[in-house]
Amino acid sequence: MTSLHAAQATFYYLAAASIASALLAVTRRNPVHSMLWLLSLFMHVAGIFLLLGAEFLAAVQVIVYAGAILIFYLFVLMLLDLPGEVARPRFGRHWPLAAAAGLSFAALAWLARVGASVAPAAGRTTEPAAARGSLSQMGKELFGPFALPFEIASLVLVAAIIGAVVLAGRRSPRP
Amino acid sequence: MIAPVGVVLGLSAVLFGIGVFGFLARRNIILMLVSVELMLNAVNVSLVGFSAHMEDTRGQVLALFVIAVAAAEAGVGLGLVIALNRNKPGAGVGDLTDLKW
Repeated sequence: MTSLHAAQATFYYLAAASIASALLAVTRRNPVHSMLWLLSLFMHVAGIFLLLGAEFLAAVQVIVYAGAILIFYLFVLMLLDLPGEVARPRFGRHWPLAAAAGLSFAALAWLARVGASVAPAAGRTTEPAAARGSLSQMGKELFGPFALPFEIASLVLVAAIIGAVVLAGRRSPRP
Repeated sequence: MIAPVGVVLGLSAVLFGIGVFGFLARRNIILMLVSVELMLNAVNVSLVGFSAHMEDTRGQVLALFVIAVAAAEAGVGLGLVIALNRNKPGAGVGDLTDLKW
């Protein structure tokens, strides 16, 4: 019972820390500081995945999000003019409107979750709960019912690679 | 059950709202893209919460696809940022008024 309480306390710590990290990432003036807070957010969300039984997704979150995507953003940030970005105003003039939009969306989704009293599916508990997020179970799903979406995802990634090379690799505009 | 599904969904909603605010309010293109990543991550949180609640692996598979789309979005978005910076060095979001009437 105490281990369950410890897990619950860890979950609420991770939730609070990820919300705080997200707020700081969005509001810091220096873009590199924003990136570091985003790294903290990704790590805390990976911990939440781990607590919710999604071990493989937690590993993917750390490797792909924190390891690849974030470093990619940092590289592009280094290519651009950082002191100029720091000197610019952080928010546009319309930021109260943006805050109202974000708040109202969060409030809407928060109210909608009250209606989410869906009972757990009783019929589909063939696999043991401990193995649900494991790599073998994910692989069975990916190469079984999700084989076609899996292949289409690889197509999307190839299209993105070609698009990025075409967009970023273009020389200066021809006369 | 470590956390009720409502708490996980509420966390996802709050993270998504922060992402919406960041995308609409920030004036730095890269940080706007980062806010999009934040929103995608919030969706992943809700998918994993549903997966734990429904005791079903499919939510996690969908979250994996969301991560793939996020990676593609980062690649194309940052390619656009580099192309923009090559054509108009030092341009901010407020300077991009070529399509404005």
